[in-house]
Amino acid sequence: MEQTEYKVRVEHLTKYFGDLHVLDDISFNIRKGEFLCVVGPTGCGKTTFLNLLTRIIAPTSGELYIDGIPADPKKHNLAFVFQEPSAMPWLTVEKNLRFGLEIKKIPKDEADRRVEEILKLLGLGDFRNFYPHQLSVSTAQRIIIGRAFIMHPDLLLMDEPYGQMDIKLRFYLEDEVIKLWKELKSTVVFITHNIEEAVYLADRVLILTNKPASIKEEVIIDLPRPRDVVDSKFIAYRKYITDQIKWW
Amino acid sequence: MKIMTVKKRERHKNTFYQILSVASVLGLIGLWIYISSTSRFPTPGDIWERMIKMFQYPIKGKNIFGHLLASLQRVMIALSFCWTFGLAFGILLGWNQKCRAFLEPLFSAFRAVPPLAWIPLITLWFGIGEFPKILIVIMGGLPPIVVNTQAGIANVQQLYLDVGTIFHANRRQMLFQIALPSALDAVLAGIKNSMSSAWVVVLAAEMLGGKSGVGFLISRGMDSMDMPLILLAMIAIGSVSALFAIALNTIERIACPWLLKKK
Ligand SMILES: Nc1ncnc2c1ncn2[C@@H]1O[C@H](COP(=O)(O)OP(=O)(O)OP(=O)(O)O)[C@@H](O)[C@H]1O
Ligand SMILES: [Mg+2]
Repeated sequence: MEQTEYKVRVEHLTKYFGDLHVLDDISFNIRKGEFLCVVGPTGCGKTTFLNLLTRIIAPTSGELYIDGIPADPKKHNLAFVFQEPSAMPWLTVEKNLRFGLEIKKIPKDEADRRVEEILKLLGLGDFRNFYPHQLSVSTAQRIIIGRAFIMHPDLLLMDEPYGQMDIKLRFYLEDEVIKLWKELKSTVVFITHNIEEAVYLADRVLILTNKPASIKEEVIIDLPRPRDVVDSKFIAYRKYITDQIKWW
Repeated sequence: MKIMTVKKRERHKNTFYQILSVASVLGLIGLWIYISSTSRFPTPGDIWERMIKMFQYPIKGKNIFGHLLASLQRVMIALSFCWTFGLAFGILLGWNQKCRAFLEPLFSAFRAVPPLAWIPLITLWFGIGEFPKILIVIMGGLPPIVVNTQAGIANVQQLYLDVGTIFHANRRQMLFQIALPSALDAVLAGIKNSMSSAWVVVLAAEMLGGKSGVGFLISRGMDSMDMPLILLAMIAIGSVSALFAIALNTIERIACPWLLKKK
């Protein structure tokens, strides 16, 4: 009974790459509908954690459950925003957005509707027939975000998605991911280096230690939304988390 | 104002490069005319006359275009085989580990023997008709397309496959929607290489035996010391392969616009 409350359960997750110890006995749960941010030093194993969750790589030991069953992208409606530019270079912006829809055989009229919606949402309408190499890095990254949003996933994994964006676009996209999350009641795991971003978005922030990574601390962000970045409580949270990671 | 001058300078630069290209061709022709006027080397006019003469007195019933067509036909039949089966075979080797382990040693051994070395055996088995010639051209055109396709498919970036995994693409979708499109530039390089090696092989095969084709004209010219004929055949073959290369590049530009960024 209690288990079904959780979208993701992580039990004693450990990962070695050869001799390199990356994740050290990590256990935590993610509630259904939770917005979880993960912050941690560069190279500590954040991307590795997401790759384990999607079974792109296999854990050395430990278990990962999504919806109570062992994690498997075949069984769950999950979407991933990769850290590296991963838009297919041979597809135009629009076809990149359609990529997942076609693989999952979403009916054409539904797909068309979603494509228009996402093009508008991400301001990609003018670029729909462009190829990724014709776009700036941040515009190309918007394709990857759109490609994930368009799937209406119930588990959305985002790996430093807004790292390349300017402040204005980042604020806008932060609000958009919140909107999507609320509309779809999905669960989001969002990795970031930006503490302000984490406090702005998250229900809960997970702070990881240096490699081999374990959980240093969990901070529950108990602030009403929409949040105000200059609110004193907001600043207090930001300062607190910054203090926890100062020794990075 | 500033932009204008930059644009102007850009245009001047392009014009300058075009002039350079034209100059090199004109230079070659000039050199040719000079050499042919001071020695017994045929002039461009001689070659033109030789071509006209061929319309009046065809060689083995064909003028230059007839022979060109004969070679072209062999090359096209062989290449259409190479491009379908070579592509399929390359995909198989690149995508399926078991097939690669089983077939790669055989294919490498086959590839290590230059196609012309097969001529005696093939002549022994199949005589000197049309089929053995096409077979040799196939042997020349097949390896480049197989090798390039295989490498392209085997080297598809893991990140793109990971994207497929996330959307739980099946094996077929992974191949046709991810691996193959990402290998397209390698495949196109293979197609170009197979085309040039097919021309090499067809000429050699025709020179060694046969009654038609540009290679035959060259060896006939050699036997009768007919220099203008040899040069005519060389120019014909050069022009046709150049046209093919241009056509392929144009197709590539239209069909795969994303590959342009590398140029
Ligand atoms: N496939 C792999 N093989 C070997 N080592 C790897 C592999 N993937 C990651 N690593 C190593 O594991 C460690 C963690 O990498 P990871 O990409 O998970 O870090 P990260 O926290 O995402 O870093 P960043 O903040 O830079 O994105 C790094 O030291 C990296 O070199
Ligand atoms: Mg990372």
